[in-house]
Amino acid sequence: MKKLLLITALGLNFAFASSVAPSDNAQYQKECASCHFGYQPALLNKASWEKVMGNLSDHFGTDASLGKVESEQILNYLLTNAGSGKITANNSTMQITKSPYFIKEHRKIPAKLIEQKEVSSIANCLACHTTADKGNYSERAIVIPNYGRWE
Amino acid sequence: MKKTLCFILLTLTLLNAKAFNAPMQTYMNELSAEAKAANPNFTGFDAKRGEAIFVSKHTGKKGTQMSCTTCHTTNLKNGGQNVNTNKPITALAPSANPARLTDVAEVEKWLRRNFNDVFAREGSALEKGDVLTYIINQ
Ligand code: HEC
Ligand code: HEC
Ligand code: HEC
Repeated sequence: MKKLLLITALGLNFAFASSVAPSDNAQYQKECASCHFGYQPALLNKASWEKVMGNLSDHFGTDASLGKVESEQILNYLLTNAGSGKITANNSTMQITKSPYFIKEHRKIPAKLIEQKEVSSIANCLACHTTADKGNYSERAIVIPNYGRWE
Repeated sequence: MKKTLCFILLTLTLLNAKAFNAPMQTYMNELSAEAKAANPNFTGFDAKRGEAIFVSKHTGKKGTQMSCTTCHTTNLKNGGQNVNTNKPITALAPSANPARLTDVAEVEKWLRRNFNDVFAREGSALEKGDVLTYIINQ
């Protein structure tokens, strides 16, 4: 009975779009969170992660290249934990920020709040989602710099 | 007596601040051999040349003017900021951040990436040795 409850709770947690499993892989954090916040694997699907990992030496205009072994280990981690929920639907690009669900959720944010230096890019999740590093994107934890709470 | 001890300890610390650990020294020796092979007149790495490399501007990978200081600033004892993502970068100077220049794999990886970003090509053994000699003395 307890187990059933747990499974139900877990299932609900994943169905709920505002939270994803946190990334608890030390190698991933070391290699993929050095230039930006470590995007959780569940934010992109398998096809997207394959593209991202396929060309790290020209990664959004910067060189993020890795050795062959590290690259394979990280790809394996990403594919094992890749997403399949709403946020990854109809998106096979390399960007979370190109997903139709993501675009819909963020369409009401004024451009000047994104362009300001404290944020500078909509890909800078942690600038507004204060608990993004825990995989929690719920509205309650959104604080936009020089604007405040979104709710 | 106490004073002398203090003095010795201080000197040791200061010396230590400018010395590479054993694996890094092996890497420096490899770079040195490579630089010598490329140019028989090579006599050793030079912090001044390294500094010139560090502050010079180039058309980088993105086609914009870049230098090492674009992300690391000109005072290596201070932290910097990644110009592409705004993420803070801790100080590069080993005197301010003892973890720096201690892990060969880390150093090789970032020099490969960062030279590509700034110079749109990889660094030569001479350039890498000079720039590391500059950084270790900061
Ligand atoms: C050398 C710096 C650097 C490293 C290392 C790096 N990235 Fe990036 N990454 C960037 C930059 C720059 C962007 C573009 C950010 C922007 O548009 O604001 C980016 C963007 C991304 C995006 C797209 C975000 C979006 O939705 O727009 C993903 C996904 C991504 N990186 C994954 C990774 C993964 C996985 C790794 C580890 C293998 C990694 N990155 C390592 C610099 C880096
Ligand atoms: C400029 C601030 C800002 C940035 C940067 C930002 N978001 Fe958001 N995000 C918001 C706001 C505001 C909302 C709520 C929109 C609404 O409900 O009107 C939101 C909503 C969401 C939601 C839906 C939450 C829910 O309750 O259903 C998710 C998931 C999300 N963002 C993920 C991300 C990810 C992943 C990134 C980085 C790739 C990111 N966001 C970057 C401000 C931001
Ligand atoms: C686009 C931004 C950027 C530029 C330009 C840049 N770096 Fe870096 N550099 C980084 C980041 C990010 C790291 C790793 C983050 C960290 O370790 O805090 C790093 C790390 C390093 C390290 C690793 C030190 C260690 O032992 O941890 C060295 C050495 C280095 N950079 C040298 C250089 C040199 C030399 C140049 C110019 C050719 C340069 N950087 C240009 C962003 C940059």
